[in-house]
Parts: sequence; structure tokens; C-alpha cells
Amino acid sequence: MNAFFHVYRDYLPEWWPRLMEAARVTAELSSLGFALALVLAALLVAMVRSRYAPLKHFANAFIQFVRAVPLLALLLALYFGLPSFGITLSGYWAGVVGLGLQGAAYVAEVLRGGLNSVHRGQREAALAAGLPPYKVFTNIVLPQAMRVMLPPLLNCYVSLLKDSSLCALIATDELMLTARAMSSEYFLPLHIFVLVGLFYFAIAFPLSMFSRLLAKRLSRGRRALGVA
Amino acid sequence: MPEVFTSILSTLLAGAVTAAQVAVGAALIALVLGLALALLTVFTRVALVRLAIGVYVEWMRNVPALAHLFVIYFGLASVGLRLSPKGAAILGLGLVGAAILCDVFAAGMRALHVGQREAALAVGLSPGQSLRCIVLPQMLRLTLPAVGNYASQLIKDTSIASAIAAPEIMFYARNLVTSTFQTPLIYATAILLYASIVFPVSWAFNIAERRLGVGR
Repeated sequence: MNAFFHVYRDYLPEWWPRLMEAARVTAELSSLGFALALVLAALLVAMVRSRYAPLKHFANAFIQFVRAVPLLALLLALYFGLPSFGITLSGYWAGVVGLGLQGAAYVAEVLRGGLNSVHRGQREAALAAGLPPYKVFTNIVLPQAMRVMLPPLLNCYVSLLKDSSLCALIATDELMLTARAMSSEYFLPLHIFVLVGLFYFAIAFPLSMFSRLLAKRLSRGRRALGVA
Repeated sequence: MPEVFTSILSTLLAGAVTAAQVAVGAALIALVLGLALALLTVFTRVALVRLAIGVYVEWMRNVPALAHLFVIYFGLASVGLRLSPKGAAILGLGLVGAAILCDVFAAGMRALHVGQREAALAVGLSPGQSLRCIVLPQMLRLTLPAVGNYASQLIKDTSIASAIAAPEIMFYARNLVTSTFQTPLIYATAILLYASIVFPVSWAFNIAERRLGVGR
């Protein structure tokens, strides 16, 4: 057991800077993917809530379909398949797009659920009181929806962070690919993959805990409705 | 074109068999271990046991499945425990699933009114009977939507097993690409194949939920 930890004492100074750099790429990749997911999801929800039936059906079908497809298949299709149509993306950007598309389907469900959780009387009352429609949305509906949406949104980010590990398979130098390269250099796969697991854990666990805390706090005084 | 498509499809279907084996094996581990851990964490009075299960669950849930597979496949092999790619995938995805279902089942049991168990004990059922006949059936009904989500997630996650060379759908897809160069067609077929497995499974869960009146 002691020998196991001695390996870390000997090699950590060499490993640390490489893994930190890779962790930066992972954080960047998942954050960009999440930003894209938020934008696409907002668009999808606007389509779902529109009165124009084709848009509504398209958005719903898109959400259902993307949720049934593994991210890895999406990433490989984007990275290896798109060049056949003259669009070449680097592994990094194929990763951002793939994570964004996949994330959008999940985030859209969260946004939709959040907006639906606000009683329609709130909106009607605000309109009746003479507020312009955009203010009804930004000042009345959105703040109330936020308390339902925020915790699951954080969970979506954590999922995306973990899923970004699949970008290793399309040649993106993030944590997982760096770990693979290091494991074939040092022949210490157990040490390296446990360590890289700790890197993910160090980012994901605090966020998960924060999301749980937030869910408890924000649902105070509205105990009838559970938080998804 | 049709011949190319059928040959691609038949190769990928061979991968679907492996994917199904991995999914079923992992689901069995996840259900049994997940339920055991949930019962233990809900009913134990020993704080240390709860803490240990908590650490296990959080570690499994906050680290990517790919990292778990690499630890099990490459890491354990380096200390002499060599598993086949398929075995490592079943074990890895099963252990991750156990953590997910432990959370789900524990939340389901905590959501039941404590009176359910007290009443069962009061009318003379043994603790084992009250669990088997009163608590577990209601808990399973309550958690069915979450279990359904887990099931479709698991089917999609079997694709990760290709990273440790388990011969499932994505593994064959990548091999086909290097031998036929029909890249877009192959990946489109793979994507449709996954969707055509995941959709029926989630529909089945939806029907079961409606039959059992979940959320009534």
C-alpha cells in the first residue's frame, strides 16, 4: 500500500503541470459546450412554445432524437463524417459542437420544465397590470423559473464536464487523452487514471454539492413542488 | 448502395449483440448492488457505513465512466487482474449504475411515509415481509421514471466500451470506416441503430409508468 503512494511522491512533480494544463482544456471545452447548449436550448424552447406547429414538432423531435443518441456517436460523426461534406472541424471544435448539441436537448428539458412550473396566473396578472410582455418574462416569469431551473442546470454542466472526456477519442488534448498518453509513457495506468479521476472529482463534486444545497434552499417555502 | 448499406447494417448489428450483453450484465450488477447499497444506507444505524456508501456513490457519479473503464481495464491489468474488454465494460458500467440506482432507490424509500412500514409491522408482518410486500413495491413504482432514464442512459453508455476495444456498435463502426471509407453512411447508420434501440426501451418504461399509475 505504501509503495502505491510512493509512486505519487516520485512522479507527481512531473505529472502535475501536464494534468493541470489538460484540466484547463477540459474546463474550457465543457464550458464552451455548455454555453452553446444554453443558446441552442433557449432557441429550442422558444420553438417548442411557439404557436407555429411545424417549428414545435421539429424542436420536440430534435430533443427526443438527440437524447436517444450516444454522445460518442455524435462526436465521431462530427469529427470524421463532416469532412466528407467539406466541413472540417478540429477535435476541439467538434467536441464543443457535439457537447453543445447533446447538452442542448437536456438543457431544453430543464428550461421547459422551469418555465412550466410558473403558474400561468403570474403571467396573466402581470399582463393585466400593464407590464409589457418582455418585462413580464424577464421580471416575473424568469426569476420564478430560475429557482426551479438552477440546480438541474448545474447538474447538466457536471454531466457535460464528465462527457467531455469522450473528446479524447477524437484527438482533443484534454484530461483523458493526456492521461492515456502519460500511461503509455510511464506504464503506471492505475496511478494515472485514478489521479485523473481525482481531477474530474475535484471539479464535479463541489458543483454537485452546490446544486444539492441550492435545490434545498431555493425550494424553501414551495414544498409542494419537488425539484427535478 | 443498398448492398453497401445492408453490409454495414449487418456488421453493426453484430456489435448490437455485444452492446446488449454489456447493457444487460451492467444493469444486473447495478440493480442488485444498487438496491443492496440503498437498503443499507437507509436502514443502517452505523454512521461509518453510510459514509462509506456516500463516498462510493459520489466517486462513481462525479468521475466520467470512461475514467472508470480505464482504471478497471488498464489499471487492474497492471496489477495482475486482467479482464476481457467486455468483462471490464460490464463491471465498470455496472459499478457506475449501482451508484446511480443507490441514489434513486434511497430517495424512493425516503419518499415513502414512515407509517407504511409502521403499519405493516403493526399488523404483524415481519420486518422482511414489510420490506418485500409493502416498502419495495411502492418504492419501485415511485422510482420507475428514474430507472427508465437510467436504462436509456446505460444503452447509450455502452458505446464508451469501444474505447477499451469491446466489439460493440461504435467499435465496428470505426473498423468499417477504415476498411470502406463510407464514413457518413456508417455513422448515420450507427446513430439510427442506437435510436432504434433506445426509443422502444423508453416507450416500454412510459407504458409501464402509465399502467402502474406513477405520479397519480
